[in-house]
Amino acid sequence: MYLCDAIMHIMEGFLPWQWCLIWWIIALPCLMFGIYQLKKVLDADREALPLLGVTGGFIFILSSLKLPSVTGSCSHPTGTGLSTISFGPWITAVICAIVLLFQSLFLAHGGLSVLGANIVSMGIVGPLVGYGVYRLLRDTSVNIYVTVFLVTALADMFTYVTTSLELALAYPAETGGIASSFILFMGIFAVTQVPLAIVEGIVLALVFKYIVALKPDILIRLKVFSEEKINAARSEC
Amino acid sequence: MAYRYTLELLAGIAIVAFCAMFLYTSATMSGAEFAGSDNVGSGLIAELSGRPVDNFQPLISQWEPPSGEIESCLFALQAAVGGMLVGGVFGFWAGQARGRRAE
Repeated sequence: MYLCDAIMHIMEGFLPWQWCLIWWIIALPCLMFGIYQLKKVLDADREALPLLGVTGGFIFILSSLKLPSVTGSCSHPTGTGLSTISFGPWITAVICAIVLLFQSLFLAHGGLSVLGANIVSMGIVGPLVGYGVYRLLRDTSVNIYVTVFLVTALADMFTYVTTSLELALAYPAETGGIASSFILFMGIFAVTQVPLAIVEGIVLALVFKYIVALKPDILIRLKVFSEEKINAARSEC
Repeated sequence: MAYRYTLELLAGIAIVAFCAMFLYTSATMSGAEFAGSDNVGSGLIAELSGRPVDNFQPLISQWEPPSGEIESCLFALQAAVGGMLVGGVFGFWAGQARGRRAE
């Protein structure tokens, strides 16, 4: 299905090589920094490894689901919110790179030349926006599940906004240029994605509740949320 | 305690609403629209670049699943890898929590 592929991951051959190169140049340093951070986190606390497994597992599961949406087309959730909150955007970029590599090698979904662009949209910009929201809300009185919902939904939405921008930059419209082309791509992608992003946000907030219930100490040690907030959330479980 | 299962309820409602929306869309949209929507993304790229869709060739040649069934199988495999990780770790944590309570 072209639309599914073109929406979630830009398909192999659909970006000119100059743009592929530019997105790779942006993605590579982020990935290297992510690998460095990952090593640091795991060296400091081996107990973080299972949490990494869970957050990565959800990216694997959710990005494999092609879900139908209101527009009569289908698209994927991204599942990057949990990892963004627990480990930050750079480690999330590394997990996304692994998922995207799997999909380009075995599913012809995305591709090696456009992998950089897909990592930037799903693994870097989406999670960065989510991380910004998380940092903004972390120390406020906003409920932690509302925070997880917003981070997840916005990380998902901004993945698609970035994909639209990447395509608009490569294919500006004859009249109106990049802006007009961006609006056209957004018109296709945003409507499809809104319901998926909302459902994904709620489902991952629920998953976070179970993490809080079963393994609150790792969230406190990684300073994901303050001890008071985690304990308050636990008392609701 | 009154709000203990609020999230579970919300998730249930969201999923049911999502399914209802899909059923409504698929029942009210004609087959032609569905067929057309398949190509909207790449169609728009073709329109903006002035090149037909078939003209876009992979820059790096890639292996394609020989059939839709094998593609589904590989997608399911990807979900299974994720499911095993999530299930395994949650089981491990639940065991740890039970062990702590038993001590």
